[in-house]
Amino acid sequence: MGRLSALFDPDTVAVVGATDREGAVGRAILENLRDEFTGEVVPVNPSRDEVLGLECYPDASSAPPIDLAVVVVPPEIVIESIRDLAEAGTENVVVITAGFSETGGEGAERERRLRAVAGEHDLNVVGPNSLGIMATSNGMNATFGPESALEGSISFMSQSGAFITAVLDWANEQGIGFRDVVSLGNKTVLDETDFVREWGDDPETDVIIGYLEDIGDGRGFIEAARDVSSDTPIVLVKSGRTSAGAQAASSHTGAIAGSERAYEAGLEQAGVIRARSVQELFDYARALSGLPEPETDGVAVVTNAGGPGVLTTDAVGDSSLEMASFSDETIDALAEAMPDEANVYNPIDAIGDADVDRFGEALEIALEDPNVGSAVVVAAPTAVLSYDDLAERVIETLEAHETPVVTCLMGGKRARDAEETLRESGVPNYFDPARAVSGLDALAGFRDIRERTVDEPATFDVDRERARKILARVQRRDDNRLGVESMDLLEAYGIPTPQGEIVDDPDRAREVAESIGGDVVLKIVSPDISHKSDIGGVKVGVADEDVYDAYEDVVARARNYQPDATIIGVQVQEMLDLESATETIVGMNRDPQFGPLLLFGLGGIFVEILEDTSVRVAPIGEGEARDMVDEIQAAPLLRGARGREPADIERVVETIQRLSQLVTDFPSILELDINPLVAGPKGVQAIDLRLTVDPDELDADISDTEEP
Amino acid sequence: MTDTDPEPDSTDIETDTDTESGTDSTSGDTPVETLLVSSLEESTGKTAITLALARLARDEGDSVGYMKPKGTRLQSNVGKTLDEDPLLARELLEFEAEMHDLEPVVYSPTFIEQAIRGREDPDELRDRVREAFETLAADRDRLFVEGGGRYDVGGIVDLADPDIADLLDARVLLVAPYEIPADVDDVIAAADRFGDRLAGVVFNDVSDAAYDGLETDVVPFLEGRGIPVHGVLPSERELSGVTIAELADELGASVLVDNGQDGYVERFTVGAMGSDSALRHFRRTRDAAVITGGDRAEIHTAALEAPGVRCLILTGGHRPSSAIVGQASEKGVPILAVQTDTLTTVERAEDVVRSGRTRDADTVDRMQRLLSDHAAVDSILG
Repeated sequence: MGRLSALFDPDTVAVVGATDREGAVGRAILENLRDEFTGEVVPVNPSRDEVLGLECYPDASSAPPIDLAVVVVPPEIVIESIRDLAEAGTENVVVITAGFSETGGEGAERERRLRAVAGEHDLNVVGPNSLGIMATSNGMNATFGPESALEGSISFMSQSGAFITAVLDWANEQGIGFRDVVSLGNKTVLDETDFVREWGDDPETDVIIGYLEDIGDGRGFIEAARDVSSDTPIVLVKSGRTSAGAQAASSHTGAIAGSERAYEAGLEQAGVIRARSVQELFDYARALSGLPEPETDGVAVVTNAGGPGVLTTDAVGDSSLEMASFSDETIDALAEAMPDEANVYNPIDAIGDADVDRFGEALEIALEDPNVGSAVVVAAPTAVLSYDDLAERVIETLEAHETPVVTCLMGGKRARDAEETLRESGVPNYFDPARAVSGLDALAGFRDIRERTVDEPATFDVDRERARKILARVQRRDDNRLGVESMDLLEAYGIPTPQGEIVDDPDRAREVAESIGGDVVLKIVSPDISHKSDIGGVKVGVADEDVYDAYEDVVARARNYQPDATIIGVQVQEMLDLESATETIVGMNRDPQFGPLLLFGLGGIFVEILEDTSVRVAPIGEGEARDMVDEIQAAPLLRGARGREPADIERVVETIQRLSQLVTDFPSILELDINPLVAGPKGVQAIDLRLTVDPDELDADISDTEEP
Repeated sequence: MTDTDPEPDSTDIETDTDTESGTDSTSGDTPVETLLVSSLEESTGKTAITLALARLARDEGDSVGYMKPKGTRLQSNVGKTLDEDPLLARELLEFEAEMHDLEPVVYSPTFIEQAIRGREDPDELRDRVREAFETLAADRDRLFVEGGGRYDVGGIVDLADPDIADLLDARVLLVAPYEIPADVDDVIAAADRFGDRLAGVVFNDVSDAAYDGLETDVVPFLEGRGIPVHGVLPSERELSGVTIAELADELGASVLVDNGQDGYVERFTVGAMGSDSALRHFRRTRDAAVITGGDRAEIHTAALEAPGVRCLILTGGHRPSSAIVGQASEKGVPILAVQTDTLTTVERAEDVVRSGRTRDADTVDRMQRLLSDHAAVDSILG
């Protein structure tokens, strides 16, 4: 158990701001606690002697020792009350009171002070602006919601308090139980990462679920969740997926909406199972909390109804699972046991007159097959089939085989009792086969997460000092951008760049061209001109004797096109053989929540029109870098489609890793694009570079990383 | 008068002044050294340079005065039409003078119309300027005269800066911007107009990118043409921006979050895209104010995340959500709210930055340092 165990398992809970005034939050919490909590409840309020029949204390110091304090006093005295509690030795505080940063400037100042007091006394603080917390193991309902949770093994956190009250009302009806419930509120001190860690350490929590609008520290969350998801599944609904949703979330919490792609990549790397709706959240949670793990992805479907059987087969096709192909033994055994009209291939159709025994036998035979990792029992009501008996039979079979089985006993009232029986044994029943399959999908997904290994990022030998000096050039700029004139940054990190130089004089251009040998490429260098070739700012295949004129020409064109553009010079570069090479893009965009988001794709239309790119949150190791290359749809082009020579994929993978190291070493790099990175049969070359640097952060980088 | 004035008379400078003024009959017998600060373009830092030079001279022990013969930076919103620059000069240089002497001609649109209709007599105006000059010059060692807008403003009444220089027997310092080599043509044209009176040129607000080229190639070229260059002043953001407090004032904005109002804004950027591209866009800029609708929460949060965004200006009279206000105040980024739409707000805000660059004591202090570091002040003062 982690440091938050006392938060959920206190002996004494105080309600600071307790009152018996009807309709007051301070009363609602006290009532909720008084009803079920096995420990002691202590009201604190200087203007009461007694509240709801309990002795009331004027302040924390005069009360008995308090393990957990629930604070509901007006916002102006919250800080004072917490200081008082801390001085009396309380370590765990839930701040229900609203009126912090969610209400504007004054509130934001109050929240700063709250953070300071918590830091000073090393307090565990939930909230502020929280509905409260619950623990079913000791009957503690320290919320002002109308419902208490049923006992269970799912621990649940939510950034919206209202969502908790709604979920509990519904979950109680569905018979879904919880272990701990937390309304995160403004997440001033404790946030999703803390609770993921805590519940990961809690043997009684089988599944962690959450509703989040943002993740404050994406990197920290990934690390915590990676640890935890090696034995406890984490399922999250992250709202604000769409741009309209993101706007609503920004308005709700004032938190910036990180890019959806960053969340997708970050949560995937963290080993989080992402639910797209509240229904999926609980479908996954129920499957994960009640069922064993499937050994293979093969699904057997057993049904008495052809139509629903096909629906289920489609649902399997849509998922990451597959329809199991039965072994000959299985088919023989099924043929033996089933009537001739039955279908003994997957999906097994035991036909309309199937009774519980025929169903049970078919299921048992299927589960014996080593290709079957899980099963769905799909039934429509018939006169010869008792749902209640079928439920019992499914449970028996499942327990004997340690293989996950979900059911679709379709129907309304008729299925009610059977559903109840199944639920008690942890088997979820659904009307809709797609939902049943999605539960199994989550089980298989979690198995893959548990089994995967993430390799450590490699550390290349780089010239960090040189890179730092190059980045510092931005301090002398009018904006925060650096361009191709800073290509030596890539050299410092061992990313190959073509031979060449930036010059501001045509004679010098000629000298450089002569030193390179062979025809050269000339490109205008200006932070203000982003599409160089569109304005004739690029000349390819220029012979040495034409360099002077070509220089004049690109400068003149740039001047005509954009008279106020700052022109740094002209880049004279060796010609690369683009015939046998493929243009790729390697880039990074720093996400406000997850940090550096690496991107890889093929250049040109693949990126611009097809958006065929892969992303990962840095730092990444070789395996993830390779996955990035393999993941794009156009990957076969790199491997040498249609008689082309394959590109040097090893060097591409290495470049991604080196970029990962660069952007991890320098948090001041906000964006960086190597476009293109030309990947040929004999290696890669970075041709163009753009980056955005935060000059303030650069100062911080320097002081932080200075070694003693 | 300052009391740090050890030897008010008997300096070398005065001797020079005597001989110079003796060669020209237009000025009276006041032994005053007059410097006209004229510029190639409006808003090149003329006021700051004029006042900074005046203070440098005063620190040297000279008794200094100031005048701006043609009032061009007119503010009618303060009740009556007048120029703010002389007011600042009077305050900073701590001298007593009447407004009508400091700014004898108010070069307002009405004045110009009247002049074109022949209702202003150029001779009379010249007399008025000269009289004001003589009043101000009395008992002073030096008088600093600020030109009006561009150097050729005032030609309608024969009072363009070259005419003023002749009238007041002034040496001329030409303040010029510089971006590209072709700008040199304008410098030469102006130098020709001033002729022998041109004491030299100072380039101001020169960006880092243009600085080296200017120093290594352009300056020797101009000097070869007989045009002395007395300084190249690098662009400094405190001189090219406005404070957020000033901006709020000029826009008539209500201030929703007020911490960080002493920050400077140099440019504006409009948030009218998705939040992803907004963040990219905002991150590239520096010392910027983001102008966007009050209802675009995702743009607000993106702007608050970008390091170069100093201020949010919310248009259309929409209030942002409280959570955004809280977030902004936590990050120390002021939020201004205006009733006007985004387009109008952008135009007005750009006007403020363009014409209303900070003109306060602080600006003049900074300019004084810049001049000391990057200009030959002795050569300018002569």
